[in-house]
Amino acid sequence: QGTEVSFGGLKADTGLPVEVTAESLSVNQADGTAIFAGEVLVKQGEMRLQAGEVKVEYDATGKAIDRLHATGGVLMVNATDAAEAAEAVYTIASGEVVMMGGVLMTQGATAIKGDTLHINLKTGTGRMEGGVTTTFMPGGN
Amino acid sequence: EDPATLIANTLRIESESRLVADGAVEIYYQGRRLTAHRLVYDRAADTLTIDGPITLTDGGDTVILASQAELKADLTEGILRSARVVMSQQMQMAAAEVRRIDGRYTDMSRVVASSCKICAGDPTPLWEIRAQRVVHDQQERQIYFDRASLRFGGVPVLFLPRLRIPDPSLKRANGFLMPSLQSSTTLGTGLSLPYFVTLGDSRDLTVTPFLATKGARTLELRYRQAFRTGEIELTAVGSRDALKPGQTRGLLSADGRFELPKGFELTFHGETVSDRAYLLDYGRSDKDRLTSRLEITRTRANEHISGRFLSIQSLREDEPSDSLASLFGDMTLKRRFSLGPLGGQGGLTFQTHSHTRSSDDPFDTADDADLIADGRDVLRGRIRADWRRDWIAGNGLVFGVLGEVTTDLYHIGEDATYGGTYSRTHGALAAELRWPLVKAGKAGVNHVLEPVVQLVWAPSGTEALPNEDSVLVEFDQGNLFALNRFPGSDAVERGARANIGVNYLRQDPDGWSLGLTFGRVLRADDPGQFTTGSGLAGRSSDWLAAFQIGTAAGLGLTNRFLLDDAFALTKAETLLSYDRPRFGLEAGLLFHKADPAEGRLIDTNEIVLDGRFAIGQAGWQARLMNRYDLKADRASNAGLGLSFRNECLSVDLSLSRRFTSSTSVKPTTDFSVSLELLGFGGAAPGPSRQCRG
Amino acid sequence: CGFTPAYGPNGPAGGLQGHIRLAGPTDKNSFDFVTAVQARFGRTKDPRYALAYTITTEAVGVGYATDTSITRYNLKGSIDWSLTDLASEARVAGGTAENFTSWSATSATVAGLSAEEDAAERLMVILADQIALQILAASARFAP
Repeated sequence: QGTEVSFGGLKADTGLPVEVTAESLSVNQADGTAIFAGEVLVKQGEMRLQAGEVKVEYDATGKAIDRLHATGGVLMVNATDAAEAAEAVYTIASGEVVMMGGVLMTQGATAIKGDTLHINLKTGTGRMEGGVTTTFMPGGN
Repeated sequence: EDPATLIANTLRIESESRLVADGAVEIYYQGRRLTAHRLVYDRAADTLTIDGPITLTDGGDTVILASQAELKADLTEGILRSARVVMSQQMQMAAAEVRRIDGRYTDMSRVVASSCKICAGDPTPLWEIRAQRVVHDQQERQIYFDRASLRFGGVPVLFLPRLRIPDPSLKRANGFLMPSLQSSTTLGTGLSLPYFVTLGDSRDLTVTPFLATKGARTLELRYRQAFRTGEIELTAVGSRDALKPGQTRGLLSADGRFELPKGFELTFHGETVSDRAYLLDYGRSDKDRLTSRLEITRTRANEHISGRFLSIQSLREDEPSDSLASLFGDMTLKRRFSLGPLGGQGGLTFQTHSHTRSSDDPFDTADDADLIADGRDVLRGRIRADWRRDWIAGNGLVFGVLGEVTTDLYHIGEDATYGGTYSRTHGALAAELRWPLVKAGKAGVNHVLEPVVQLVWAPSGTEALPNEDSVLVEFDQGNLFALNRFPGSDAVERGARANIGVNYLRQDPDGWSLGLTFGRVLRADDPGQFTTGSGLAGRSSDWLAAFQIGTAAGLGLTNRFLLDDAFALTKAETLLSYDRPRFGLEAGLLFHKADPAEGRLIDTNEIVLDGRFAIGQAGWQARLMNRYDLKADRASNAGLGLSFRNECLSVDLSLSRRFTSSTSVKPTTDFSVSLELLGFGGAAPGPSRQCRG
Repeated sequence: CGFTPAYGPNGPAGGLQGHIRLAGPTDKNSFDFVTAVQARFGRTKDPRYALAYTITTEAVGVGYATDTSITRYNLKGSIDWSLTDLASEARVAGGTAENFTSWSATSATVAGLSAEEDAAERLMVILADQIALQILAASARFAP
């Protein structure tokens, strides 16, 4: 009857390379950060992250990305799930994504709203906090 | 399928299909609402595992509280553990386990049901019903108990293998109503057990058998039906007893009210009894005359229309039914208006009246105590016009001119002395001076002083008509300034006279007020129309003195006296009521001088006391009632009552004795006990118990 | 002695005569009550105040004779009333007027019936006069 809605959609392979495209890029050698602005799109495997502006923080070696800090309205899509928020911080190593500010997460027919959303892409688990509201279809299975 | 809404402080998506909500969790689904501390939603199995404290309400009046539960996602199915089911905030059922079945049944095991408040220090409720199993059917709104035992203060009193009770939200259901125990010296001790039957939405029948030790057997049927435009209620009671062996006694009564087109309303009340003593023997009422009436009436601004038939059945010893006027027919049309350029306020009344006696003996016999021909029938018509106009003079004097004219046409039949037709036209003209004075005293006290003088002129002369309907004349502030103080039409007040009176009112800001009225009637000459008992006899009437005291604290004292020239009492009437939360008193005093013309052969001298007072804080209340006949120096009836009421139990014990008797009725003592478990949608609960400590 | 004529030049109640509108009567008692109040304040030409009222009466048997007959009845009446100023829609006076009349039932049924109805009419006159006095008493506080 309904599709098998699983939370697996939150799982992603955080080991894949991260590709970032944007209209403009400005690099700050001093603290090793780069700011992408204008229609920023971050791709990692199937996971997509769009934002108004993304600040990328590189690790000590300056080669690998340590953290992405997206602001100006963020949309993250991963297989069947999507999550929208004002701001998001993605720490690549731990696979931790923290989305803040009027978070709306949709999975198939279910929608979950709240203030902050913690997703662990490695384990595919998520935690929504702050006035959480969700609708679900009883007897959906 | 509409979606369910879930609200929580945090929501963890833990795995494939496992959602964990934590902190102030709420679920809304199709009118059902669940609140809990923590909830796990297994999407695959579509179940909720919930940790308490849980409250589950299903839109109706039932609330389930539980500590732990597993329910289907739509809240219709599942088990709640150590749950309490609360219905209409009254009936509570604690159960080890509560099973919800397809949103309709609540199946509870090892249940304690009670609507009594349970205090921490003292866990046993006043009464409780323990049962192995209880099923609450929310659709039928019935509660079924299996192997139930009723316990008072923890002591088992009654064991019932199966018990069915309507749930508090059900207003009409077939079933037994609360029984009551009555015992009286005439009927012995008996139990009445009413059974209520609903016949569709708009009709019902209550069957009440009553069995008593001295062989009295009664069956009472009460049928009620509601129509779109009205309702009726019929009662039929049949009894067999040892007082009148072999005879079926009883009563029939019918009441109804219907809206008719054009704003008219039909009301009827019919009442008849098998014999004179029935009502008193069975303690149903102490009426001594039963008036049945059917009336069509309409009342609007400036217009009153009424057409009615009345029949009276007397239960008095000295009133045989055939020589007593028993059938009445009246038509009345009243109009009020202002007389155009003349202004003021006028009234016109058209009225026809007839009353008949079944006997047709044109002579008065000794059968009854009156001096009226046994068979006399009367038919009369009346046209009455009245008008008044007031002017206000510069100094605040209210000058009024008022008058009334009546034209009567009588036809009296079956009366050897007065038979025939009569006509009479009579009138009265009066000038009235009224001077209301006000004083706004210090500290917010208001005074009003109003002297009134009325000079009335009316033709004198004597009455040709026999006086039958104007025999019982009263004199009080209501007719001190009336132009014709006779209550009926057979007599009219004649001769010139002055009505003098003064009203005084004092209102205190603390909420108490005092009202006084004094008055007197001074006649040019004594028309000899009034008897001494009315207080209006002679050239100058008795002094009328009335005063009334009311306080914000609930005291009301109203008195009225008629004092003759020697200041001896002709009549004195006092009503006292003092109403406080914890006690109340209603008292009445009546003295009325003997007046054979009014059928009062000896003085009436009676005092009535009716007091209630609360005992302790638990809800006990005692009641004392005594009606004492000072003339006969003996009580007419007395009563003692003890009642208890709290949030879950109402008990009424009453003992009363009637000392009066007649050839057909002996003095009787009645005792009755009634006990009602509150919380089943019956009587409203009383003040709830206070937990000490 | 401090009393001023209520309808006098500087009396407070001048604005009441002919300006009190009464709620329409719905039965004989209220019909008689309206008639009695209008006898005191006149029929309404241009209403400035509205008098609302609720009438309840109860007949109680008294004077129980030794042979169980009831020789007299009290008709207890109570009227909850309130006077509202139509301009400001404020309630300017109100209260509960209570009193009783009575009638004898010692004579035959015809006399008893007309005595009972006359008692009801007198009760309405008494209660109307009582309310009229209370309105006059309060008028010093509210009339313009």
